Amino acid sequence: MAILAAPLLLAMALQGCLGQMPLPMGSLNRKLEAIGSSRAPSLAGRWLALIGGQGGRDQVVLVDLERQLPLPLPGLNRPDAQPLAVAVDASGERLAVVRQREGSTELVLYRRNLMALEPIAMQPAGVPRRISLRADGRELAVEVSRGGVWQVDLIQLP
Amino acid sequence: MPPRPPSIPLVSQRSAWLGPALLVCLACGGCGSWSWGRRSAGPAGFGLGPSNRQDPALSGDGKVLATVVLRGGRDSLLLQEQPSGRELPLRQLRRFQPHRSPSLSWNGRYVAVLGQQGNRPIVLIEDRASGKLQRLPLPGDQAVERLSLAPDGRRLALEVVRQGQSRLELLDLSPLLEPDLPPGLLRSGGGPNPADRR
Repeated sequence: MAILAAPLLLAMALQGCLGQMPLPMGSLNRKLEAIGSSRAPSLAGRWLALIGGQGGRDQVVLVDLERQLPLPLPGLNRPDAQPLAVAVDASGERLAVVRQREGSTELVLYRRNLMALEPIAMQPAGVPRRISLRADGRELAVEVSRGGVWQVDLIQLP
Repeated sequence: MPPRPPSIPLVSQRSAWLGPALLVCLACGGCGSWSWGRRSAGPAGFGLGPSNRQDPALSGDGKVLATVVLRGGRDSLLLQEQPSGRELPLRQLRRFQPHRSPSLSWNGRYVAVLGQQGNRPIVLIEDRASGKLQRLPLPGDQAVERLSLAPDGRRLALEVVRQGQSRLELLDLSPLLEPDLPPGLLRSGGGPNPADRR
C-alpha cells in the first residue's frame, strides 16, 4: 500500500508545482514568430503592440490577441521612420510611438479610429525614449533625456 | 498666428466668451502639438544634483508610477503613488537588483520587473496585496530584454534574445495570479483561458 501511495503523492506534488507555472501561449507565440524579429512589447486589454521587423524594416504591429490577428494601422508606419518604442491603451484605440525620422527622435500619438497621427512636443525640449500609456489612453509617462539626465514626464492627453 | 492644434474643438463665433481661452490654448499650442497638462515626475532625489530616472510604467488606473532610479549604486525600482509622489513599499524585490523594465497591473497590485539572482537574470512579479513573490524561470540560452504585464495580470509578454534575434513570448499567468481588474468589474475566477492555448 505504501509503495502505491508514494508515486501518487509525488504525482500530486508535481501537479501542484506545475499548477503554479506560467503557461506558454503556444498558438499565439507561433504566430508572433511568423512576424519575424519582434521587440518592445506593450500589453493592454486584448491588445499586444510591438515593433516587428521583416526584411530589415521595422514597423509598429498591433495584434488582437483574441482573434490572434494583426490589425491594419493605416498612416502609422512609413518607410522613412524607424519606431523605437510603442505603448497601447486598453481599448486598442490609441498608440503612443517614439520614432526616429529625418535625424530626430519624435513622440507621436496614433488614433486608430481617425487613422491620424499627432505629434507630442517635448517641453522643455528633450529626446524621448521609453513610454507607458495609462489604460484609458489619457495619460502618458515618457522617459526623456535632457542635458544628459534621464527624466520622466507625465503628459495628460485630451 | 501659429496653426491651431488639431485636438482643439472648433468654437462658434457666438461663443465670444470662449475667445480668450482659445487664444491661450493657441499660444500654448506651439506648432500643432500638445503642450498642456504636463508635469515632471520629479527628481529621483537620492543624492546631490540631478539623477537619472528611467523606464517609466503607469498602472492601468494611473495611480501608481514605477520608475528605475539609482540607489546605493544599483538600478532600483521606485514605486510612487500619483499624483502625491508618496513612495510605496516593496517587500520582496529589493533583493534582486539591478532592476529594469518594470510593468504594473491595473491597480498596481502586481509589479513585474526584470531582476537578477546571483549572476542570472530573473523575471519577478510581486503581489503587493499579499507580499508574495513569483519568480519565473528562464531557459538558460535566453536573455530577456523587456517585459510587459497585461493590466489585468493575466498575461505577460517577454522580449527574449536568442542567437542574436529578438522575439516575443507570451505567457498565460492565470494559474499564478488572480486578475487585477478595475473597481466594479467582477472577478472572473481565474483559471486559464482555453482560447489562449489553442
